[in-house]
Amino acid sequence: MPFISLLLRSQLRLLIYAPIPFLIARFYPITKITGRSMQPTINPDENQLWHDFALLDRVSMQARANFKRGDIVTLFSPIDPKRFMVKRVIAKEGDIVETLPPYPHPQVCVPEGHVWVEGDDPYHSDDSNTFGPIPAALIEAKVLFIVWPLSRIGSLQTPSVRHLGRLTRGSPEHRAAVAAVEREKWRESRVIPARW
Amino acid sequence: MQSLRKIFLNKYHDLWGRYYHFKSQSRSYQAKVVGKGLLNLFNSYCAAHLFFDYIGRPSYTGGPSMLPTLAVTNDLVIEDRLSLRFTEISRGDLVTVKSPLDPLRIVCKRIIGLPGDVICVDPTGHLAPSTEHVIVPRGHVWLSGDNFSYSRDSRRYGPVPIALIQGKIRPLRDFTIYRNPVTLAHFEQESIRPAAKGTIL
Repeated sequence: MPFISLLLRSQLRLLIYAPIPFLIARFYPITKITGRSMQPTINPDENQLWHDFALLDRVSMQARANFKRGDIVTLFSPIDPKRFMVKRVIAKEGDIVETLPPYPHPQVCVPEGHVWVEGDDPYHSDDSNTFGPIPAALIEAKVLFIVWPLSRIGSLQTPSVRHLGRLTRGSPEHRAAVAAVEREKWRESRVIPARW
Repeated sequence: MQSLRKIFLNKYHDLWGRYYHFKSQSRSYQAKVVGKGLLNLFNSYCAAHLFFDYIGRPSYTGGPSMLPTLAVTNDLVIEDRLSLRFTEISRGDLVTVKSPLDPLRIVCKRIIGLPGDVICVDPTGHLAPSTEHVIVPRGHVWLSGDNFSYSRDSRRYGPVPIALIQGKIRPLRDFTIYRNPVTLAHFEQESIRPAAKGTIL
């Protein structure tokens, strides 16, 4: 018994170092992502029986607002401040975007300090096509990569040409990669960047 | 008592002695002492950062946009982040907001309208005709600086999402308790009472 109490007391002393893991979890949180608006990039399961857990990077967004077109970001909903969304940055300030159906105008110029965000699944997504361009300050963090489930661990970047060449033609992975590349091309074709 | 005094003097009084004692020790002992000191330093940085992020922080104001209320430079205020989680925002509150024009800038403004309120865009008539009115949309607030002639606020960029609000401002100048100066006397008529919070308009 005295041994256990001694052990407990020596472990309790370690509690003064609790701020360190808390701060790491604040800078680089791991979050469960729900919802189907980013299918098939995130949560590809049609029935939503399992969800992806992703590692986020708050530092690069909060300290220097460092993001580019095509990045997947988490942001607070402009309609409901408690809600948390995962979307893809389509255009930055000054760009001209071709919008999708729910938006009243066919083309829009993104105003100063704002971004245009969209989900990868345009039919199941509350994005800029419903509420318009949003302030870039709403963006909370960048999604770095998926950490869970184990079968889906990896980066969320669009596969490169070299990666495509390594896959066997016709396999499911190859088809998914080709689809991702085509979606990226379609995305980029709808944006006229502010700086050429 | 004598021994306690001896220990205290040994530890804090004779700094040169401590330094030479440290120098005479082995390398592994030196590394251990330095490493533990650095760990404690990093730990206190983490604790301070978490405190400033979640509970509150002192900060200086800058800029003329809130002029009669807050000075142009070096007015010490407390940015209160904790009460935002537990209390509702109300009209007349001073808040810090991430600027919708620049995500790295934090500005201090006064809340004029809550979701569902009808707001006169610019009573002075400089930036918009003074007869123009808008309804603040769901999840947004209408912000305004106290110095109308030198303030970039909702007159310029429209209603601002509530999620951009960082904290409430508690001014320390003159050590007075900040009071909410907005009176709601003219809302007593039922017909012009503002819509309930969260109403979809």
